[in-house]
Amino acid sequence: MNPEPFLRLDRVVHEKGRMAIMSMLAASADLSFTDLRDALGMTDGNLITHIRTLQEAGYVSVTKSFRNHRPLTTCSLTGAGRRAFAGYINLLEEIVRQSKSKAQ
Amino acid sequence: MESDWANERLQVIRTLMERSAIYRRALAPVMTATGMLGTLAAAVALAARIEAPRAFIGYWMAVALAAVAGSFLLARRQALKEAEPFWSPPTRRVAQALLPPLFFGFALGLLLAARPGVLGGASGAGRCLFWLPLVWIALYGCSLHAAGFFMPRGMKTFGWALVLASSVLGALGAFGLFDWAQPLLLGHGIMGLVFGLAHLAYGVYLYFTERSGNET
Repeated sequence: MNPEPFLRLDRVVHEKGRMAIMSMLAASADLSFTDLRDALGMTDGNLITHIRTLQEAGYVSVTKSFRNHRPLTTCSLTGAGRRAFAGYINLLEEIVRQSKSKAQ
Repeated sequence: MESDWANERLQVIRTLMERSAIYRRALAPVMTATGMLGTLAAAVALAARIEAPRAFIGYWMAVALAAVAGSFLLARRQALKEAEPFWSPPTRRVAQALLPPLFFGFALGLLLAARPGVLGGASGAGRCLFWLPLVWIALYGCSLHAAGFFMPRGMKTFGWALVLASSVLGALGAFGLFDWAQPLLLGHGIMGLVFGLAHLAYGVYLYFTERSGNET
């Protein structure tokens, strides 16, 4: 298998937890912190760490607001995040294609 | 195969993206309208003294169909307003989850309306006015609970609340705590209280708490 696509995989997205967060956010306009935590079964600390990494990479934006006098944290993918996620999926598909053609 | 992990990753991504697309259409108008309809229907039925089992079943099945049609129209209107497809994948999943228990409740109603004799005379008719609403409400609670897996978290809790209310009322009835009540009052009262007022209360709660966004 040509290792080149594998080497081009974005390490920020490739980590399992962050890939899961980006997958959820890719299908939604935004998701609350609690929705993400419950859906992915992560601890608060784990989720915060991953979101911070994604924020630092410019892939996720975090908005803090209030709903019914309660703080509400919502996360969404930035334009760069969407492009990085689409690029990651394209590379995965390329790896699968290469492997199939090699097998034939 | 070397690409197995890549395939698995793509599958995980697909699953997570599907799970993320939950049904988020505003439920407050649907719940409030259903609650108002249920409460009003119970009041009308009590005033009109609808007490024959066949009439009771036919009446409440008609009310349920009206509620389903009203909910359908309200959800469709929201989708049109947001310029979004109505029959989207999340809507399909919710409909599929709702259907089996609702279908059984409907079939049970039809069966009892067609063959009221299976209930066994006048005492059976009285029992029907008590137990059938409880079975309907429990089935409806089960359907909401199933749909709740594709909806905001409160829906599962509401489904559970209906199942519990039905179980508690059933237990109270089984121990004779409602022996004093007329079957007419009991049947329509249960429907009005659990189907009508519970929806109304949940609808009002949602008005104050629901997110304004639609499905994602």
